[in-house]
Amino acid sequence: MRAAGIIAIAVVSAAAGASVGGWVMASPRVPASGPVSQGAWPLVPMGDVAGAAQPAAALAMLNPRARDPGAVARGRRLFVQMNCAGCHGYDGNGGMGPALTDSYWRYGGTPAQIFRTLYDGRPQGMPAWGHALPPADLWALTAYVQSLGGSIPPAGTPPPVNRGQTRPNAGDNGNAIEGQ
Amino acid sequence: MTPIVRQLMQALLLGGALTGLGACGTHGQHNEADAARPGAGAAINTGKGGFNPAPGAAAGDWTSPARDYANSRFSPLDQINRANVGHLRVAWTFSDGALYGHEGAPLVQGDTMYLVSPFPDRAFALDLTKPGPNLKWSFDPKPSPMAIGKACCDPVLRGWSIADGKLIYTLLDDHVVAVDLKTGRQVWRTAMADVANGQTMTMSAFVAGNKVFVGNSGGEMGVAGWIAALDLGTGRELWRAWSTGDDKAVRIGPRFKPFYPQLRGKNLGLTTWPAGMAQHGAGAVWGFISYDPETNLIFYGTSNPGPRVPAQRLGDNLFSSSVFARDAETGEAVWAYQFTPHDEWDYDGVNEMMLLDLPINGRMRKTIVHFDRNTYAYVLDRQTGEVIRANNFAPQTWSTGFDYRTGRPLVNPAMHPLPDKTLDRVCPPDIGQKDWEPPAFSPRTGLVYVGIFNICMKLTNHKASYIAGTPYDGMEMARFSADGPSGGWGAFLAWNPVTGKPAWRIPEQFMVMSGAMATAGDLVFYGTTDGWFRAVDATNGKVLWQQKLASGVVGQPITYLAPDGHQYVAVAAGVGGAAMVQAARPGFPARGSTTYVFSIDGINQGAVSGAAAATPAAAGGGR
Repeated sequence: MRAAGIIAIAVVSAAAGASVGGWVMASPRVPASGPVSQGAWPLVPMGDVAGAAQPAAALAMLNPRARDPGAVARGRRLFVQMNCAGCHGYDGNGGMGPALTDSYWRYGGTPAQIFRTLYDGRPQGMPAWGHALPPADLWALTAYVQSLGGSIPPAGTPPPVNRGQTRPNAGDNGNAIEGQ
Repeated sequence: MTPIVRQLMQALLLGGALTGLGACGTHGQHNEADAARPGAGAAINTGKGGFNPAPGAAAGDWTSPARDYANSRFSPLDQINRANVGHLRVAWTFSDGALYGHEGAPLVQGDTMYLVSPFPDRAFALDLTKPGPNLKWSFDPKPSPMAIGKACCDPVLRGWSIADGKLIYTLLDDHVVAVDLKTGRQVWRTAMADVANGQTMTMSAFVAGNKVFVGNSGGEMGVAGWIAALDLGTGRELWRAWSTGDDKAVRIGPRFKPFYPQLRGKNLGLTTWPAGMAQHGAGAVWGFISYDPETNLIFYGTSNPGPRVPAQRLGDNLFSSSVFARDAETGEAVWAYQFTPHDEWDYDGVNEMMLLDLPINGRMRKTIVHFDRNTYAYVLDRQTGEVIRANNFAPQTWSTGFDYRTGRPLVNPAMHPLPDKTLDRVCPPDIGQKDWEPPAFSPRTGLVYVGIFNICMKLTNHKASYIAGTPYDGMEMARFSADGPSGGWGAFLAWNPVTGKPAWRIPEQFMVMSGAMATAGDLVFYGTTDGWFRAVDATNGKVLWQQKLASGVVGQPITYLAPDGHQYVAVAAGVGGAAMVQAARPGFPARGSTTYVFSIDGINQGAVSGAAAATPAAAGGGR
């Protein structure tokens, strides 16, 4: 009785699976487009920079999609489609993974640091997306994360109003927690 | 006879009388294989109901999370009772340093307590004959930190087990370890799965006879759920049975005789799914296991189906949200029953199966009592899988009734979640009106004691794609009290499984996610997620003693006799796990890592006699 529906859903989900699988592609080590100097973002430090003479240009890198009005919406779509919301919460307030809405960043909160986290993954379960998504999508995701309000502005830009919400216990937000 | 020795003798006699086991005095020498033989351990039964106390641990010990195969969590000790529990005080504390949910039960065998922290899953042995007590050894298995981010609901561990001179437990990164009780050295370690694809292990390893039973977690991560049996001596895998897939994978063969027709047929673990969906259909195995030595069957539940968006997986989705009865030796399925066919709200069926013998319609029946996340309290015939009773134990809106003819709950048509449509109020939410937290049963009252919730959710589904190592999920939720913005989120319930009705209920502002423990002192112990640890009268629910601990209680209380002959109560205070859904509520506690041990007047004879260091033999001699 439900056979037709079952088959229809199967086709849809198979197509979705194929499209996800199809995104496994070789991506260049630097964004293909945008005003980003070649080779800059792999130099992004995770923490502060020891030695005053070290170049910190990468920390000043703007999101090359910063002026793209559709980037945040596209990033939000990817945030749900790529299951980021399953860990970080549909509102970005954290759950299995850390909150993205506060000013506490394990691996740095400037646009280039967020991009690098997306590209390389992190050791506590954050997968590396650099081989599954093209750089343009990673910058769109970065734009969405920046829009959540907790990111650190690139070096040299004025700091935003302090939100006063540091969450040292990442994952302590209520409703984003999974219910196994 | 000194008072202490007399008390000890009384406790042992009581234990012996209740268990019918003369072996109670041979403390720590018990042979698990013998206990697993049919007939081992005459049933404790008062006429109000009972259970088989096998493997028959000594009355003063507590060597598995549930204390017995039947999952009773009942102790025959009664030194601490209704008359003196008001004098319960902290005797000592111990911090394991891990700030994640402490969901396990401390274990005691002989003169040693064994604790395991949540991630990084460090084990500790505490010498109860020495002041402090003294740390005998610790063991650091160094699991992969990647597992932290693959565990849906905090990197927790729900318990550990003692058998054959070993401490046996699962690691979050999908290993099982056995540690020598005396030396703290690893005896074996078995790799079970790859954490990178979203599998973790959070359940307590369960030992029956010469086998260790374990399963996987990851119902939100697109895993395929399984249970496996390992050899207790070597850790070698003996069999593995999946919850979904063809009959070979599910270990369904000629012995499989489920009660209801919808559970009979070829390859139902595949054919009740859209093509290609069963392999990521979850049915993870992360709750407690029970074992019936008379039939050599194990019983356990399976998780929600994946993804959590039901529109993507039309069909019953067998064998998710189900219970299996399997032959412990071969893993063959003997029967199954599905609590929530085609689950649409994340109602895992993993909650424990209590193997109770209950007087139903004038005769004693061998039953399973099971409080499901879906808010039905079931009484099943454990020989056939027939539903004897299904009663709501808390408020719910998803089901309009239960059809005893088909064994299926009737689904409220207004509660089907469709992608991108919001349902404002579904009760219960994903974590159910009861999650994994295990109840206790007292044969003295015939009641089951259980921590429950009183919550609902606003739900929006989003279609999910399977991407290995990421959540295969799609449920956006906001949870709230069933009684409005100022309403409580939980309760502690005494339930009569024979009548299917509550005996009494203690409303709580916060969810009750601790285990329950019942004792022959007619006390029941439980904790709240805002940190209260309470002892109540088992007959009427009157709170006789309580203390606020340093963090919320999501662990499982136990009681034991120390080498000094005194009865102690132990519980961990370390909030975490699914209790964190309340983290934004006022009054919610900070995390913690402390195990508390209580005694009458806070007596801690180990500490006193330890000051005169020459008397440990005397202190231990009473055993």
